[in-house]
Amino acid sequence: MSDILLQAENVGIRFGGLQALEALNLTVRDKELCCIIGPNGAGKSTFLNVLTGTLRPTSGSVRFLGHDIAGLPLHRIARLGIARKFQIPSVFPSLSVEDNLKVARWGAPSPVRPVGELLELVALTNRAATLAGELAHGQKQWLEIGMALAIEPRLLLLDEPTAGMTPQETLATAEMLLRLKGEFSIVAVEHDIRFVRALNCETLVLHQGRRLRSGPFHDIETDEMVRDVYLGRR
Amino acid sequence: MIARDRNWLLIFAVCVALAIVYPLFADGYQLTVIRDALIFGLFAASLDFFWGRTGILCFGHAAFFGIGGYIMALVTLNDAIPFASLLGIMGAVAGAAFVAAIIGYFLFFGGIRGSYFTIVTLAMGVICQQAAVSWSSVTGGDSGLIGIPPIEFDLGGLHVDLSQDLPSYIFVSAIVAVAVLALWSISRGRWGTVLTAIQDNEVRAAALGHNAPLRLLVTFVLSAAIAGLAGALYVCMAGLVAPDLSGLLLSTEVIVWVAVGGRGTLLGPVLGAIFIQRAQQTISSFNPSLWPLLLGCVFVIIVFVLPDGILSIYARLKSLFKGRRRAQ
Repeated sequence: MSDILLQAENVGIRFGGLQALEALNLTVRDKELCCIIGPNGAGKSTFLNVLTGTLRPTSGSVRFLGHDIAGLPLHRIARLGIARKFQIPSVFPSLSVEDNLKVARWGAPSPVRPVGELLELVALTNRAATLAGELAHGQKQWLEIGMALAIEPRLLLLDEPTAGMTPQETLATAEMLLRLKGEFSIVAVEHDIRFVRALNCETLVLHQGRRLRSGPFHDIETDEMVRDVYLGRR
Repeated sequence: MIARDRNWLLIFAVCVALAIVYPLFADGYQLTVIRDALIFGLFAASLDFFWGRTGILCFGHAAFFGIGGYIMALVTLNDAIPFASLLGIMGAVAGAAFVAAIIGYFLFFGGIRGSYFTIVTLAMGVICQQAAVSWSSVTGGDSGLIGIPPIEFDLGGLHVDLSQDLPSYIFVSAIVAVAVLALWSISRGRWGTVLTAIQDNEVRAAALGHNAPLRLLVTFVLSAAIAGLAGALYVCMAGLVAPDLSGLLLSTEVIVWVAVGGRGTLLGPVLGAIFIQRAQQTISSFNPSLWPLLLGCVFVIIVFVLPDGILSIYARLKSLFKGRRRAQ
């Protein structure tokens, strides 16, 4: 029991008349990697917002290390050890790559990795002095992952980390995450099935705000129902 | 980065050197003109410290200047208060900081940013000026308070008396130099870098563990405190305080000084304040009503054509020529 990091129980959320999420459960153990997939509008990003505490669920609860995190200010959630990478790359464009990582380290309660090591991890050592706004799209995404690492998270939540990447960059990102897998828990919301296949981990499939299937990716991939939903037959 | 810091320190040193040799060539009247312009320069630097680093424009900064001025006047005009000059300065700084803390708390923690912040602070300035006019039993109403004594205090056996032109010039120059240097060292280090990050993307900065509203609030309070100090110095040198000192016109003027001198440079706004006040005196001598018109036009031109200030013309020309050369 004690290695449970994040536990979402019976989470539901309503926006006016729309039931965006219904009766969702998710348990993330320490140092576990898992993915949330589903077609557009399935509620993936909404669920991630609930998991990070930015959206308060209308029913159910989200507990991180036993604390209820719904509605806490963003910086407090970050200091509990939850890092988040946004869907659109959101680095600080007017700061250099190095300063971006420094700002990230300063926000952490107890940063461990020096900036040099972070630069190396995300393959940006030779761009340290470049303004982050001038980086290529894929490099921005990596810099963001580096910034998330800088705060030494217990849990890293990634919202479509490979959005807009080339297939090569997508695979390189998957490799980057697999290297980091043993250090902390990772939850990735993803649309790109190649990326999820490369990660090959526990997967939760959402459809219209509900759990459709969950289990190891191998089982998910061969599931008829999942195929139907992805191919739009239902 | 390092080169930019070195250039800044070099320009700062040149300015200090000019301020030191100036009394050798100037008469008493010219000294007081520059002294008063420097006080407004300090005021401009205080606005730039907030606006330049956070990108959030305060359109009522004169409110803090005026609050500092009125507190200084009320304390020094009261014979019952000992050490009036020192207590007055401290009260002025604390009073302006206090008002900024209250208003800033509700705005920053309430998520008010951008133009909404500008509009609310604009209203704040108008309210302050109106309060100064209406509360005439304390503030003297429209005519303000007169007969404010010059700064005079003892500090560790040293008797400071600023009733003469030269001592007051030296005192003001020293305070402005120290304050600008202090603001600069705060804004270039870790504090300033995080503020730039917040300006770029506040949500992202918060998601990294930075308490963005608190940091903005502290920066705003510090900026208001320096504005209050400038207000306190000014009323002692001028000998009077009036509702104009917290009014909309001064709030606009200080924005123009910062915009002309170059936002985010701290030193530029001080120079901008001196330069523009000089121009104001010259132009007003032709026709007093010409100045506000011209000020408005300069403001519009700066905002649209040179958002980084007059000093940026040099950098722009340089990049223009570079571009030409590359094209050939």
